[in-house]
Amino acid sequence: MEGTAWEQVQEQCPDVHKIDLLIGLPSFNQSSTIGSVVESILGGLKASLAHASALMINADAGSQDGTPDIVKEAVGNLLPVALVKPVTEGMSAKPFVLNRLSYSGMPAREEAFRSLFAITEQLQAKACVVIDGNVRSVTTEWIDLFARPVLEKGADYVAPLFRRQRYEGSLTNNLIAPLTRSLYGKRVACQTGGGYGFSGKLASFYLEKEFLWEGDAARFGIDSWLTTVAVAEGYQVWQARLGTKIQDTKAGAVDVSMMLAQAVGASYHYMEHYQDVWEKRSGSTAVPEIGQTIEGEVESAAIKVERMVKGFRQGLRDLLPIWEIILAPETLAGVLALGLREDEDFNFPLSLWVQTVYDSAVAYHEKVIHREHLLKSLTPLYLGRTASMVLETRDGGPDDVQRTIEQGCQTFEAMKPYLVERWRFQ
Amino acid sequence: MSEMWQEAMVEAFREMMRRGALFLPKLMAMVTFLLLGLAVGWLVKHVLMRILSAVRFEVLCERMGLTPALAKAGMKQDIPHLIGRLSFWMVFVFFAFMGVDALDLPATANLMSAILGFLPDIFAAILVALLGILLANFSGEAVLIAAVNAQIQGARLIANMVRWGVVIFTGAMVLTQLGIAKEIVIAAFSIIFGGIVLALAIAVGLGGRTIAKEALERRLRREKHDDELTHI
Repeated sequence: MEGTAWEQVQEQCPDVHKIDLLIGLPSFNQSSTIGSVVESILGGLKASLAHASALMINADAGSQDGTPDIVKEAVGNLLPVALVKPVTEGMSAKPFVLNRLSYSGMPAREEAFRSLFAITEQLQAKACVVIDGNVRSVTTEWIDLFARPVLEKGADYVAPLFRRQRYEGSLTNNLIAPLTRSLYGKRVACQTGGGYGFSGKLASFYLEKEFLWEGDAARFGIDSWLTTVAVAEGYQVWQARLGTKIQDTKAGAVDVSMMLAQAVGASYHYMEHYQDVWEKRSGSTAVPEIGQTIEGEVESAAIKVERMVKGFRQGLRDLLPIWEIILAPETLAGVLALGLREDEDFNFPLSLWVQTVYDSAVAYHEKVIHREHLLKSLTPLYLGRTASMVLETRDGGPDDVQRTIEQGCQTFEAMKPYLVERWRFQ
Repeated sequence: MSEMWQEAMVEAFREMMRRGALFLPKLMAMVTFLLLGLAVGWLVKHVLMRILSAVRFEVLCERMGLTPALAKAGMKQDIPHLIGRLSFWMVFVFFAFMGVDALDLPATANLMSAILGFLPDIFAAILVALLGILLANFSGEAVLIAAVNAQIQGARLIANMVRWGVVIFTGAMVLTQLGIAKEIVIAAFSIIFGGIVLALAIAVGLGGRTIAKEALERRLRREKHDDELTHI
């Protein structure tokens, strides 16, 4: 039985007592990428943060391919480094969730973050930067982009901002980011994975709030709630422009309905907790960004819109009794009317989509049906909206997609009173 | 002769009066039990309904799919009312049996002990039936959503098969618990279940061989069937 994360660090690095920067590397069988990630981090430290005292922690979830050894070898004597293994029960102790990884594709991810935050607090580190071990596109600038806003600009949380294909991250762009923006008033892209930067203050806050670490939302949606909690609690949020993300295990390798249930479920879960916060906030403000803007479009992959529309139509045919329970009558009437349209004219209006999202949030809150069923039954509706967006913009440029996403965000904000009213008086 | 006739008459009358005098208290006891049954039943019904209403049991039943399932089966009343009525009649029947037992008739000599002996089986059967209906609805809904999201064309058929499979299984368990035609139920269930499995095996083996082969190949080769979109 391993000791706590802090005990493991003390055992391996007895001379480390106080540091400026903690670098966390969550990993699981990433021997092919972890070496280059470590080299980039070390290069970045040498180039821009040479004066800062730092400690590297490899939070490994039980790799069988020698990932921790590669980390130690790559670091050498350049930096104190410690390996931390999961100590709590984690996912492996619960047979019913064995086959359910979070959409990040990493086991015991929430444990890794919790351990890193605990060590950050113990060492009174000013900043904690976490970089995923499976990202191939980590450059020497990353560590600076995540750490500098915290160490020098007073940021508490630095979220990643990647350059993506025009339709990549459609669930984030069509639902999670606009919902977060309309609820908490911060224009964050809500992109997940790759890396994050935290202040010591925020790490301690995450650590002391037990509710953040309990339940499915904590277990499967840590990449979602890190941002949600930071904006809801009013911490200084920044975004770091990191270029294109290339990673071995793609986030969202699990099926779309499972991913939707985890990511959207986490957003809805924290809506209940932060009701007092989001009911009072209106409008939105941009968050500061760091890093260079890279122009030009990333080559986009083929999108099979017909399959999405087919998925929506099947949902309309088979899931109607469930949608009748979840959606308000006027929303349902709008959704039903979409079934009459030909594939070429298919158009899921933004306002209807926003109503659908708000209705489902209220239904989640009211527990009208089993919550996982509710979230998964939204998949055909989400596919319908995504197909509609692709059809609207596929002949235009990347700016058209961005414009549509921005329109979506504004519609979410404009229709917030609908949510507040239904949430209060349902 | 007339004395003997007179004595017989008096004796018969006296015997009847004696029996009547012995039976009357028992009859009154029965009537009392019936009245008590009505009063206690009414009280239990109302207290139970108040408690169920306070804990929002109706909402819970709605959420668990029990209310819609019973509505589909033609039950118009809501669940708390149903439970209230059931509790009333259970209490009343209990008191009625006590009343019948109080009559001390040879034909109903061990009625009460027999009824009390059967009660645990009835409760167990009701519990099994309730859990079975809940499980059937839950599994049916889960399968329907999963099949629709996987874009399987016969999603509703598959979901209904799962739902009814669980219902039939529950029905067989309830009847077995109650000891009603145990052997017939087990035999019928085995025949039906075995028949369904055999029919499916033949259907897939003969009719859907190519489809099954293609599906397996697709799965094992992990062919990309979805769009290239990264959703998160």
